[in-house]
Amino acid sequence: MAAESTVSLLIDGIRFGYNGSDLLNDVQFEIRSGELIGLIGPNGSGKSTLLRLMNGILKPRRGTIFMEGQDLNKLKIDEIARICANVPTEFNEDFNLSVQELVALGRYPFSKGMWWDSREDEGLVVEAMKKYGVEHLRNRRFSELSSGEGQRVLLAKAMVQCPRIMLVDEPSAHLDLRYKLEVMEHLRDMLSGNVTIVIASHDLNLLAKYCDKVMILSRGKIVAMGTPEEVITPEIVADVYGVDVAVIKDGDNIFAIPRRTRRDKDDR
Amino acid sequence: MEEVVVKERSMVDQAKLKLALVMGVGLLTLFIFLMISWALGAVDIPFYETLGHMWNIIVNFGPEHGNPMEHIIWSRMIRSVAIIGVGIGLSVSGVVMQALIRNPLVDPYVTGISSGAALGATLSLLAGISIVSLAEFTTPVAAFIGAIAAFFVTMSLAEATGGRSMNYVLSGVIVGIAISSFTTIIIVFSEDQALHGALFWLYGSFSYISSTEALLTILPVMVLSLVLLLYAKELNVVLLGDEHARHLGLDVKRFKTLSILIVSVLTGVSVAFCGIIGFLGLIVPHSARMLVGGDHRLLIPASMVLGANVLLVADIFARILFRPMELPIGAIISMVGAPFFIYLLIKRGKEYGG
Repeated sequence: MAAESTVSLLIDGIRFGYNGSDLLNDVQFEIRSGELIGLIGPNGSGKSTLLRLMNGILKPRRGTIFMEGQDLNKLKIDEIARICANVPTEFNEDFNLSVQELVALGRYPFSKGMWWDSREDEGLVVEAMKKYGVEHLRNRRFSELSSGEGQRVLLAKAMVQCPRIMLVDEPSAHLDLRYKLEVMEHLRDMLSGNVTIVIASHDLNLLAKYCDKVMILSRGKIVAMGTPEEVITPEIVADVYGVDVAVIKDGDNIFAIPRRTRRDKDDR
Repeated sequence: MEEVVVKERSMVDQAKLKLALVMGVGLLTLFIFLMISWALGAVDIPFYETLGHMWNIIVNFGPEHGNPMEHIIWSRMIRSVAIIGVGIGLSVSGVVMQALIRNPLVDPYVTGISSGAALGATLSLLAGISIVSLAEFTTPVAAFIGAIAAFFVTMSLAEATGGRSMNYVLSGVIVGIAISSFTTIIIVFSEDQALHGALFWLYGSFSYISSTEALLTILPVMVLSLVLLLYAKELNVVLLGDEHARHLGLDVKRFKTLSILIVSVLTGVSVAFCGIIGFLGLIVPHSARMLVGGDHRLLIPASMVLGANVLLVADIFARILFRPMELPIGAIISMVGAPFFIYLLIKRGKEYGG
């Protein structure tokens, strides 16, 4: 991409598991700044866990993660928050926070010492709400929103954090066809500011359409990483998911269309 | 035209306006209720006379010697200072506890803190346990220790059973019942005279409050509430849940430990001198939330003025409903609070089943 692109995230041989077993075993990859990366893998392969390792919520048992060249273990959580924003899949809120108040919380890493939000903070909040089409909901309670609206509010909240790295977990789960595409387009727009985005999703075709690179997590390892054409092939998909697919080209886009499950791959 | 102007106002300006409005109206009604509270009671004093006496008392730093009216008003003033302190303390405790536990159904009463305080107080009042150097402050100190101990038991139990919203409510109820059974047994074995005092304490009473006690209630309550108000933004972040709050760079564990400590002390101070007043920490934050929304920068101040108002009104009723007999103020609040809690459970309880 850009000539001055640098390494945003370097995952160096990390090992991690809950309760002694290894969920991730020697995961290794690097992501350059300004890239949109899709992370796919079967249920339980550890996509969410990997995201939580990349933002420092979990600590790897072995190996190191470097965020913008710095050892993640040595960064304080507020320093991480000024670099990296997260968009969670699910989120509940029962305390009557309005949409605007919730989006404004994204400014917290930058306005810790101040009691009221500044004009600049507020400008960013309004801009983000407009961008994700939730400005008309600004005074509504978050808990009253549909899940699609809620998802867009969370994306707006991540945007006001002005992140250089964004980790998004299953952004399209609750979105209808149009918003799915719109959200991906907004995320693509953010790349022009040299933001690095990692999206974990089950939607192969959506990721193939928008991502610069796709990586597949399976059996505790990154089994493939590359352009969508390189990674989403009948062979790799069959190996990882145990499903026969036809990969179809439509101009620049590729689509994986499932045909049948493989009986012999029941215990993939 | 008006509408256009309102729309152009920034979010912060709107919030400030809302805050000023709530504080203005709240302080005005508080002043009116204070007047009523000082004028009415076992003996009614006309309002203009009350004002005159009040002025004298303030100018002379106390009631005139041998002036019975001024002594009555003076004691009512002391009482109302304590009531405002407790009203603020329990309401702010409720707000902050609800944010920390992420459950709008908890308050000092539900989480067993008040029961702990009651056990401490009953022990000191009835079992004759007294700490020599503390003398007259034995009961409040015992209540205070009981409050903090009970809260920590509830919190540990809730964390151990999964740390979900409902675990906190259940743990609080269980701890509350267990502690109350001890209190009951102590009461059964006690002498009649001490019993009356204990019962009054158990339902909350401001009857025998001294000026020192009133000050020892309101001063720490104000200081601790203002400290919590300083952390209003952090409390907003905590609403997002532990992991999400950490994503925003808040050291959740440290912040929660610290604020839980402050809240326990705040609750302990609030119940130490005048006993248990249940449900106030539930009604007030919830009503304030409906009034100003969930932002703690508005919610804490709103809860403070609302709490002071509500408890003061309850006290006026407690004193004049069956005068000259006085009802326990805690019973009056609970009569309103219990149905309110039931309403909350029915309306929103399903959301906290997890």
